[in-house]
Amino acid sequence: MNRARLVAAAVAVAVLLGAGGFLVGRFSSPAPVAPAGTSAAAGFLRDMQVHHAQAVDMAMTIRDISADPDLRRLAYDIALGQSNQAGQMYGLLESWGLSQASSQPPMAWMSQPVLDGSDGGHGHAAAPDGTMPGLATTEQLAQLRAATGVEAEKLFLTLMIEHHRGGLEMAEGALARTTVPQVVSMAKGIIVAQQADIDAMQQLLAELE
Amino acid sequence: MVHSSLRGFRGSIPQNHGVSTASGPTKAQRQAEQRARQLEAFKKKEAAQRRNRLLGIGLSVVGLLAVVAVVVTVIVVNTQPKPDNSALLGNVVTFPNVEAGHVEGTVDYPMSPPAGGPHNPVWLNCGVYDQPVPNENAVHDLEHGAVWITYRPDLPASDVDTLKALTPSTYAVLSPYEGLDAAVAISAWGAQLKVSDPADPALQAFIDTYWKSADAPEPGAPCTGGLDAPGKE
Repeated sequence: MNRARLVAAAVAVAVLLGAGGFLVGRFSSPAPVAPAGTSAAAGFLRDMQVHHAQAVDMAMTIRDISADPDLRRLAYDIALGQSNQAGQMYGLLESWGLSQASSQPPMAWMSQPVLDGSDGGHGHAAAPDGTMPGLATTEQLAQLRAATGVEAEKLFLTLMIEHHRGGLEMAEGALARTTVPQVVSMAKGIIVAQQADIDAMQQLLAELE
Repeated sequence: MVHSSLRGFRGSIPQNHGVSTASGPTKAQRQAEQRARQLEAFKKKEAAQRRNRLLGIGLSVVGLLAVVAVVVTVIVVNTQPKPDNSALLGNVVTFPNVEAGHVEGTVDYPMSPPAGGPHNPVWLNCGVYDQPVPNENAVHDLEHGAVWITYRPDLPASDVDTLKALTPSTYAVLSPYEGLDAAVAISAWGAQLKVSDPADPALQAFIDTYWKSADAPEPGAPCTGGLDAPGKE
């Protein structure tokens, strides 16, 4: 009887030690744990690539149209900066083995509950048609391409300020819903950079008007 | 009060089995007490064993639960729901080692619609077209990670709407295609699927697997700022 008890206790202790050791090893190992394909982190990385792609397109368009060196430099900055950032988002999804395409509609991740529970744990309704905040419409893009001179510059600045505001909204939405370090640091960077861009664009717009 | 004083009183009465003497308990009394002590010790021991047995079982159960919890946690944390589309993609035709040079003029592609190969230096702007688009420019998009959804020009408008809803907002071209030998063909760099039903779930499975694929030569290279062919919405 005593021996059986000892064996049982030894097995229990060994199992607990093994489980504890495994947990410690698992969560302290350098191999990062990939977020789920339906996570807010993955949704943000997918949708922000689409959002950034339009900013790159608009920036390249105005750089072709405008002769204003300040505006051309700002456009260069936006195009290369956001193109690079979109590539980082692409790479993160690839490194986690996640599909670039989503099984959910665009922006569905923004309807997930926020981490601090300030929404009562049930999230906000995303735009029903899955539109992203700040995106210019196809018609607005066509207007921009057709415009010339100061009119084109004003239209670009107006559209891009709206676009960046939408980008801020998405980055803040991601920060509220994920703790994945790469995504947190990227979202914080986007907020800083795009807020600075907005200030610069508002100044340029004021000079034109 | 009455009870407790009674009990105390009774406890002080010697348990006499034989003749009581002033000098102490008789031999029979001592034996009875010893038996009672032994019985009590035996019961205690038995209770301790029962307790230890339960403790042992309890610990084992806790240990087992801990292991199960750890295994479940690790599986849940590590599960990557990358869709397994292999069942839906059985009819995908792949073209390994398609070439990627820039050429002027028309190209005679070995497959129709083309799913990779030499192409025009100018890429086609991604989006929805209601007219056929030039092969040589569209193939350039595939090199940049886009998918190209083509349909037979006589496809009913409602089916075309189904395809529009399916088409990703970036890195995708939708266009009719003259002489297509299926209702719908979806192409990526080096891969193609033809289906007879525009609502076939295999189309979405193809997009999940090949849209912006890392297997394309230049995923993320632009799909705007190139050629707007006629018929772009």
